[in-house]
Amino acid sequence: MKKIAKTKLQELWRCLSAEGALYLPVRSDSVVDFALWQEDVPADLETLNTFLPPKKFYYPQTETVLKYEFGENLQLLDASSQAGEKTILFGVRPCDTAALSLMDKVYLSEPVDEAYRRRRENTVIIALGCREPEETCFCQTFDIDPGKAPGADLLAIDTGTELVVTAQSLKGEELLVALNGVLQEATSGDEIRVKDVQEQAGEGYLTRVSVHGLAEKLDTCFASPYWDRLYRRCIACGTCTYLCPTCHCFDLQEYAAGHSGERVRCWDACMFTDFTQMAGGHNPRPTQKERVRQRFMHKLNYFPRQHGGEYACVGCGRCVRQCPVNLDILEVIREMGGAVDGQ
Amino acid sequence: MASNPLLPQVAVVTDVRRETPDVKTFRVEAADGRELFAYRPGQCAMVSLFPVGEALFSITSSPTRIGFLEFSIKETGVLTRALHEIEAGTEIGVRGPYGNGFPVDFLRGKDLLFIGGGIALAPLRSLINYCLDNRDDYGRVDIIYGARSSRDLVQREELLVNWPRIRNTGVHLTVDVRSDDWDGNVGFVPAFLEQLNPAPEGKVTVTCGPPIMIKFVLQSLAKMGYQPEDVITTLEMKMKCGIGKCGRCNIGDKYVCKSGPVFTLAELQQLPNEY
Amino acid sequence: MSTASEKLRASAAEALACGRVSLVLGWRKKDFWWQSPVAFVEAAAEAEQLSFDPFSVYNPVKYLLEATECHEKVGVFVKGCDSRGINRLLQDKRLEREQVLIFGLPCSGKADPAKIRAVFPAQKIREVAQEGEELLVRLTDGQERVAAADFLLEKCLTCRHPNPVVFDELLWEPVPVRAGVDVSRFARVNSVAQKEILERYTYWARQFDRCIRCFACRNTCPACNCRSCIFDQAEPRWLGKASDLADTMNYQIIRAFHVAGRCFECGECERICPAGIPLQEMNRRLIMDIDKYFGPYEAGLDAGDSPPLGTYRGEDPAGFDES
Repeated sequence: MKKIAKTKLQELWRCLSAEGALYLPVRSDSVVDFALWQEDVPADLETLNTFLPPKKFYYPQTETVLKYEFGENLQLLDASSQAGEKTILFGVRPCDTAALSLMDKVYLSEPVDEAYRRRRENTVIIALGCREPEETCFCQTFDIDPGKAPGADLLAIDTGTELVVTAQSLKGEELLVALNGVLQEATSGDEIRVKDVQEQAGEGYLTRVSVHGLAEKLDTCFASPYWDRLYRRCIACGTCTYLCPTCHCFDLQEYAAGHSGERVRCWDACMFTDFTQMAGGHNPRPTQKERVRQRFMHKLNYFPRQHGGEYACVGCGRCVRQCPVNLDILEVIREMGGAVDGQ
Repeated sequence: MASNPLLPQVAVVTDVRRETPDVKTFRVEAADGRELFAYRPGQCAMVSLFPVGEALFSITSSPTRIGFLEFSIKETGVLTRALHEIEAGTEIGVRGPYGNGFPVDFLRGKDLLFIGGGIALAPLRSLINYCLDNRDDYGRVDIIYGARSSRDLVQREELLVNWPRIRNTGVHLTVDVRSDDWDGNVGFVPAFLEQLNPAPEGKVTVTCGPPIMIKFVLQSLAKMGYQPEDVITTLEMKMKCGIGKCGRCNIGDKYVCKSGPVFTLAELQQLPNEY
Repeated sequence: MSTASEKLRASAAEALACGRVSLVLGWRKKDFWWQSPVAFVEAAAEAEQLSFDPFSVYNPVKYLLEATECHEKVGVFVKGCDSRGINRLLQDKRLEREQVLIFGLPCSGKADPAKIRAVFPAQKIREVAQEGEELLVRLTDGQERVAAADFLLEKCLTCRHPNPVVFDELLWEPVPVRAGVDVSRFARVNSVAQKEILERYTYWARQFDRCIRCFACRNTCPACNCRSCIFDQAEPRWLGKASDLADTMNYQIIRAFHVAGRCFECGECERICPAGIPLQEMNRRLIMDIDKYFGPYEAGLDAGDSPPLGTYRGEDPAGFDES
């Protein structure tokens, strides 16, 4: 266990940036998002939810999967072998860290997505424990401890004036060694302070819902009239899906000029009409009702059914805060039978 | 080193055959002369035409015919229109095989009733030729097939000449619209099926066709006493990856690209009705 | 409970009970103090859920497009900004006047949750209610009164038409227009316009670079009421799906031009943009230009007027013949 005074973080970041491309939460205009570290640009370590979740570093909104030349002869070039420069993410919250393990279930299952795997392998996550949940946080619902981030390589806990850092993986340990010059040894007092912060973090939830038994209950809810009511407010934008740390659906598109081109993978959203629209005109999800149902059923029933009971939600609250019409997963969990206590 | 599952192999279109006014069959071979991949009847592959795009098509050739793949493709959208313009010699991309394919072991020893409509003969043809190439392994084979008009019958030579010649095999054709050059049955496939009324005993049926045909054929089969376990069909959804990741071809918790496209009616009854 | 909410409930219940309408669009409260989504009320007994509070912001007008497909007549509560959206749909021939029963709600502005959170710890806020010109903030440990004017949404600070411009019934007395709106309306546009051209490009590039193409701006906008949008078209595809800055600018600029002369300044596009892109600056820039070249015009005030970009007039500045 090591530590550093918060006043000396610039020094830490300078060292980290020598180890790889360093990204951390930065405010630009009105928005806090992960951005490449720049000397003298202050990081925002208070805001819990960045605008976009860090999934964008593993699964970018746009990435070339294949390059081709189609003049005389067709030549295909695998673009995934270029993915995965050495990257360090600083300040990833526990919910977003947990979301990556859900993403892994999709992209690291056979057949493994090579670009994703390479990025995962070449990225070091320095998680930052939360001190106090926001009103829209409900990570606890999914057994995520806001003071811990087991999937991270390093865990930093803000004890007030210092960050106390613990290595949680081999990659994390290696990085700690490289940072020896700027870090101090933590004391037993720090250890106690870390425990206190962690314990306190889990106590401030305003939003308490339970998903116990929800996946099973939803097995029989596909035809429920509930969906007829729920969807009407939806304006079919992609805010919820694009801001979601576990949404992973994509489209493949061609970008070409002359005799060369690229096949590009880009985020897509089940909220959009053309998501399931087939060339012949048939659309198995013809109205917004089916699309809204698909999104929530995917998160709360299909995904758990495919992946050992785990829900495709980490309770980060981005959709709760950002949906223009306040139609979010919290509402569905509450109304479809998740037990409620608290507010 | 692991490879990119979205990366196609380069293949050459060695033959383009016009089947109907809007259907062509493409024969595809690996550019380097090797076999592209092994597959089972009913499996699919992603076909890329550069720089237009990529889509999933069922493989219409039978794995018993070695050295090539065949795809029967109807002109419906941007990609298929572009495919219809290519000539033999064009290089394309192919990746696969995807999907579960037909349960050929389950079908062994049984009488088979194939029911097809329009372009959806494509997946059936792979299985039909597979069974007929292993003729001794299967019982009686009956093929009921319908198209809009006599001009729209795909694989005409097999339907009219090759298959009826094989022992213990019957081909029953119907068209929706009467024409001067057609002296066979006129009517929709479900009605034709009920008219032929093949007994369900010892028989497994495999149905492929447009959604509306499948719907009524399944109703007819139920009426005729076929058990849901012995009724096999295929589903079609929009797909981008073919490997269960792009997230759009699911019906309930099953991705059609991985768990399908072949389902028994018994399996379908367990899934939400969203196809 | 505020009398405003009670008036909404009574009006909706009455209209539904006597069969004048079969659906009423208003607002209701949800889980959090800052959530007042649009409510779809189909029976008099359900009117109890209606609420009009400092967060009843979302413009319900665009829902009329789908609602009037299955309801002969729909009741809708509108603030000044929302009401101009109705004129938008009427003028664009997407709605008939007799399809809607309009309840007008004069509005002195809605509250910005971010401004409230900046003063009060969000975890402690239980409810924020309007009481006259004050907001009553109920906290876990007491309550405080603050001047509502200090917590207004940006869009309300520049609102020139707080009173509905089209309605069947007005639920309460009109309110005065905020002083100084004519200056504040273009203040941000002017400040961007003062930047050097390269700096201005950098500014907009940085804003648009954050666009994730969720299309919330378009989907919420009553002026974006095309039956099918060119940007959704797959064949030919006018807008690539990749998050490319040039394509994003293509989308955003074309959309701004498409709503030019039709944008009625509700500011919802900017308010709901998850990426915080100052879209209203673009719309207002075009309004400035229209005012300059075609004379002062405000969209959505009169469904029967002749919009400058939709009407040819001999004295219009020539464009095509200037090479």
